[in-house]
Amino acid sequence: MSVLLTQRPLLSGRFGERLSRSLEYLRFKARSQNAIAAHNYVAAVISEQQKYAIYREMFPKEWACSTASFYTRGYYQKYSERINELFNLVNGKCFPLLDYWYNDPDNELDNFAIGPMNIGLCCEEIDFESIHISYAAAVVFYYPDDAWDFLNYRFQVSADDFPAISSDPHPDVWERDGNLFGHLLRLIDHSTGNPWLDNSCCQPADWFQFDRETIEDLSKEYNDALAAYEKLKPLDELIEADPRKMLSALIDFWNTGKLADDLRLILTKVEDLNDKE
Amino acid sequence: MIDESPLELLIQETEQINPAILLAEQFMRRDAANLLSAEEIKRADEILHIGEMEIEMLQRHLTAFVRLPASPSVRIPPGF
Repeated sequence: MSVLLTQRPLLSGRFGERLSRSLEYLRFKARSQNAIAAHNYVAAVISEQQKYAIYREMFPKEWACSTASFYTRGYYQKYSERINELFNLVNGKCFPLLDYWYNDPDNELDNFAIGPMNIGLCCEEIDFESIHISYAAAVVFYYPDDAWDFLNYRFQVSADDFPAISSDPHPDVWERDGNLFGHLLRLIDHSTGNPWLDNSCCQPADWFQFDRETIEDLSKEYNDALAAYEKLKPLDELIEADPRKMLSALIDFWNTGKLADDLRLILTKVEDLNDKE
Repeated sequence: MIDESPLELLIQETEQINPAILLAEQFMRRDAANLLSAEEIKRADEILHIGEMEIEMLQRHLTAFVRLPASPSVRIPPGF
């Protein structure tokens, strides 16, 4: 081992890259004199070349400075070190690509799934203490027993203090007129139109192709998803300040699709502030 | 034409190497740091398609060949 370590500097830089390339060629010559192996190799080269183009276009400064090998395999062994570097850049600067399921060096990322940023209400145990208070409050429409237990513990309120909750929401609650209650209910209903928020562990994963357009779209939607949770903060503050009034208004909104006039003013003002941010 | 044996038909076929093998050799000799142009990638995709068709055709022929009933030769090879 110590001998290998002392020899390692000789294998770095340009010489190391040429050696890796030569080894790749020898492996190719040894295994690839048949059409299927050659076909797979060409497909892999095209796939890698497309990723190099993405790297160079999306991260030109990092590309210019990079010394990562085009030939030596990286952590994800199906890809070169240079492509592994691209995966890490996307993960660090765009969205969490490598979290969740991608901890196996044998994973392929040509098509990938994204991890949900929302709670899977049907199969996850909800940790009420760790979620937004507004989100916890809206769980009364889906899992009333658990949600009322939490609200009772937190604000000393119970279901008996409020109007009965309709089994289904009023159709108007889904109208996108820019109020925070509607935003909250779309979020909890997984019907925002944002894949990070509408995905859940309970349904088959959506698969995304690793190309520039998809990466840019998912980056934008990831930031939108973060902003969607940021938008709940003012609503959390309003609930903390007057839980009975806000819970009552939320239940009325669910039942009738309407907001009390004073609340409409408050929630719309908060929404405007968020939009400006 | 109809009197030709399968062997004669085979001999008459054009001899060629799967284009994917030739392209793989070509790719191996180029520097990966020199990125392929869009046209080169398009051309490579076309060659991949042709190569794939040829592989599938050969696999079909091989499957059919394996299903053929064995028939005894009129000549006994030396050593048997």
